[in-house]
Amino acid sequence: MKTPTRAIATAIAFATLGVGSVLAADFPSKPIDYIIPFNAGGESDISARFQQSVWEKHAGKPVVIQYMAGAGGAQAWSKLNGMESDGHTIMGINLPHTVLQPMIKDVGYKTDDLTPVHYFHYTPNAIFVPKDSKFKTLKDLVEFAKANPGVVTFAGSGSNSANHLAAAQFNELAGVKTTYIPFSGTGPAITALVGSQTLAGFNYAPSGIKQGDAIRMLAVASEERMPAFPDVPTFKELGYDLVGGAYRGVSVPKGASDEIRKKVSDLVAAINADPEFREKMEAGGFVLTDVTYDKVGAFVEGKKAEYAKAAELLGLKKK
Amino acid sequence: MELLGYLIDSLTPFNLLLALGGVILGTVVGALPGLSATMAVAVLVPFTFTMNPASALIALGAIYTGAIYGGAFAAILVNTPGTPSAIATTFDGYPMAKRGDGGLAISIATIASVAGGIVGALSLLLLAPPLAQVALKFGPPEYFWLAVFGLTLISVLSVGNTIKGLIGASIGLLMSMIGVAVVGGDVRYTLDTQILLGGIDITSGLIGLFCIPVIIDLVATRDPHLKVSDGDGGIRLGEAFRTTLREKFNLIRSSVIGTVIGILPGAGGSIAGLVAYTEARRSSKQSSEYGTGHPGGIIATESANNATVGGGFIPTLVLGIPGTPPDAIILGALLVQGIKIGPTLFNDQAGTVYTFIFGLLIATLLMLPVGLLIGRYAYRSIISIPKALLTPTIAFLVIIGSFAIHSDISDTYMMIVLGVIAWVLERFGFAASPIVLGLILGKIAEQGFVQSYLIGSASENVFGMFFGRPISIALIVAAALTLFYPLIADHIMPKKAMEIDLPRSAEEDARPVKPLKYRDYPGMTIAGLLIVIGVLAIMGTADMSPLGSVFPTTISAAMIAFCLVLIAVNLLRPAAPADGLPDDRPVASKPSTWRRVAVTLALAAWAVAIDQIGFIVASLVGFVVVTFISNHDRIGVLRWLAYLIVACGIVAGFYLLMSEVLLIRLPKDVLF
Repeated sequence: MKTPTRAIATAIAFATLGVGSVLAADFPSKPIDYIIPFNAGGESDISARFQQSVWEKHAGKPVVIQYMAGAGGAQAWSKLNGMESDGHTIMGINLPHTVLQPMIKDVGYKTDDLTPVHYFHYTPNAIFVPKDSKFKTLKDLVEFAKANPGVVTFAGSGSNSANHLAAAQFNELAGVKTTYIPFSGTGPAITALVGSQTLAGFNYAPSGIKQGDAIRMLAVASEERMPAFPDVPTFKELGYDLVGGAYRGVSVPKGASDEIRKKVSDLVAAINADPEFREKMEAGGFVLTDVTYDKVGAFVEGKKAEYAKAAELLGLKKK
Repeated sequence: MELLGYLIDSLTPFNLLLALGGVILGTVVGALPGLSATMAVAVLVPFTFTMNPASALIALGAIYTGAIYGGAFAAILVNTPGTPSAIATTFDGYPMAKRGDGGLAISIATIASVAGGIVGALSLLLLAPPLAQVALKFGPPEYFWLAVFGLTLISVLSVGNTIKGLIGASIGLLMSMIGVAVVGGDVRYTLDTQILLGGIDITSGLIGLFCIPVIIDLVATRDPHLKVSDGDGGIRLGEAFRTTLREKFNLIRSSVIGTVIGILPGAGGSIAGLVAYTEARRSSKQSSEYGTGHPGGIIATESANNATVGGGFIPTLVLGIPGTPPDAIILGALLVQGIKIGPTLFNDQAGTVYTFIFGLLIATLLMLPVGLLIGRYAYRSIISIPKALLTPTIAFLVIIGSFAIHSDISDTYMMIVLGVIAWVLERFGFAASPIVLGLILGKIAEQGFVQSYLIGSASENVFGMFFGRPISIALIVAAALTLFYPLIADHIMPKKAMEIDLPRSAEEDARPVKPLKYRDYPGMTIAGLLIVIGVLAIMGTADMSPLGSVFPTTISAAMIAFCLVLIAVNLLRPAAPADGLPDDRPVASKPSTWRRVAVTLALAAWAVAIDQIGFIVASLVGFVVVTFISNHDRIGVLRWLAYLIVACGIVAGFYLLMSEVLLIRLPKDVLF
């Protein structure tokens, strides 16, 4: 009984392979499942929704956004390589998450197990204060923090996150001591900030759009001033070498062929070049990046070195 | 006058159609455990990109409110909340259905949901900007105390069995700590497995804890699932209206509670329902009947959870802070449409906002006819289809429902394991609801506690942070009242009862004053086992950060203490008499152990098979196997054939709903 079963299985496997290479030629041949490893409503979701609004125009097929939240994204990333690798299943991927998580603990995947094909934007870290705060500029805040060590509280999204790293880096660069308060996501952190539960917040720039004038942005960790916030200085301008935030990209299962990886990357790049998409993203406080498949390896290596240094500041090491 | 214009805008045939379709889809999705409003809303977002914003909002809002309402069906008919918001609906809804009042319970839930939804939507219409400030007044200490207040419901839920209730809550709290901690980032109690890394999903926990015991007991006997009163499958609308009218204060109070709690981001419908239930029970003259099928319990929960829909939109639209997960998706959809959410929205986009709010009101009103129609059909089906088909259908629903949460079979495994544990615990007096309460409130309590502690330490005022803020003080007082209420009530009530209810006293005398309690050996064994788990849990905190270990240590210590008390109390009781205990459980037909074991194994095999050989084949085989296990009659070939056709129909129907309508990723089938 065994031999025929095996023969059939082999036949099926070959048939699938054949179908696979046909698919690669006219990818995508059906709607693409785009898995977001977080809950709805965060920056990962919203940027994917922006992509979705122009997706069909560039891909010819629609995209279906699904959520697979858990363990700060690790739940989904640890399952990515077990998914179908014909390119019709793709997953959002984030930095520093996918570098820091496996660095600190065993989360079921290693940074190098994942296959990002395009990092398409980042949301710079920024310091916010409630609108009636006495801190008008970053200088006010730094002076107060110097005189009162530990008293300045920063609301941020989660422990060991981009916000947390930035707060630690800022402490180091400015020579101050502040207290970081982790919340279960950007939403709760911003709520606490708007309600003046903390003195300040280390959050992502898009919150400056969503919350309007309920909060004030003191400085932003982008290279240059952002189009959406022409009046907000960068940390660099103010003398602190702090650039970074959460980088978001698209990844595929490891089994995906080079051809498929390239095609997905090209698709994301085409969307990134779409003027309608660019305008919406920039107005939303996102900074577009064009880290395509050929550049993504070097990009991740660079970030790994940077985060390793920053992780030392947080006292993070694998237990 | 301006508002009237927006009302007319919302009344276009297209908008009405969207509201109707949304409510129908939402109700169906909400009624199926595991399928959530979030899922349905997420799938529909792309369709709204091309609509005008107000219509898009109406469609999404209608689905959302329908889903919150639909959760009551499963809660009432199969003791499983269709959505977490309907947890407290099971407390009285299922007992009502059991005794033959299922149709009435559904009608009451419908009326209460509509009323609550209207209160929430009117608050959104008239009071949104001032009410949004409530969200901002709630800081970490308030969330901590809100969770503590929610936990005091245990003392209400487990009167006469308080120690076991407290132990159950500790189990739930410990379960909520499994996985990666948001605050502190520790990885806790995963036993180095991948499956526990993401923690125990609340929805899969709910399905397991509530529904698996129902399935296991369903197959054990030939008794019908629900009693039918005099062949009447009707929905008893008039009676439902009269009952609701009698409970009008309860209805209004619960709707207000629901609106306010809906405004709090992260609290949501489940907590609103539980808090409203607690308050309704405390202020009711018949509070001892709550939990045994009192309509007031349904009215409180269902009006509160639908009020959270309107309430949740308040911070979403005014502050750009989503009140609930579906709100977060809707917020994203609006951003893509280029609408700037935030304080200026009500002026800049008044047309969109007010047209939407009227649309939401209309959708809420449409729930009445839609709900009564679907409810009537659901109730009829549940009481009329034979057990041999009902059990596999429920089993099928829990398996695909738990799978659908993340398109991940691990949630299904977890659901089955928790369900079996819950069944065993329930046999020995540890009810499921305190465990669920702990599971839901644990994270909120822990995060609130640690954040308050950190902020308090930064300003060197930890005490003031916890005990010096007005809303916190109010919540502490409310918690204390609820906690000690049974004691106070015991003190006052007997006198009152004598004064009012004189005729009943003769009957009371006939009963023994207090039934003699014997030593509960199984309970003691479980307590002993939990002490070991508690000690292991405390030892497991050794390599955690101080932030991450404070809560598990405290909860484990509390659980150990409760278990010791339980053992001590039992040691003081007399051992069971030699001639055995009188069995006070009415036995209609002898429960069959092999069927119970078989159905549990079948469910586990079914889950594994879905992962291995695919959805359709596994479900068809699983369905037929469970049909066989739950069939108590001798039936002919024709009947089997009919069952097989029904099985194919049900599996095909849900396959299409999941893969084609909700676009859930399903494992590849080997045959198709």
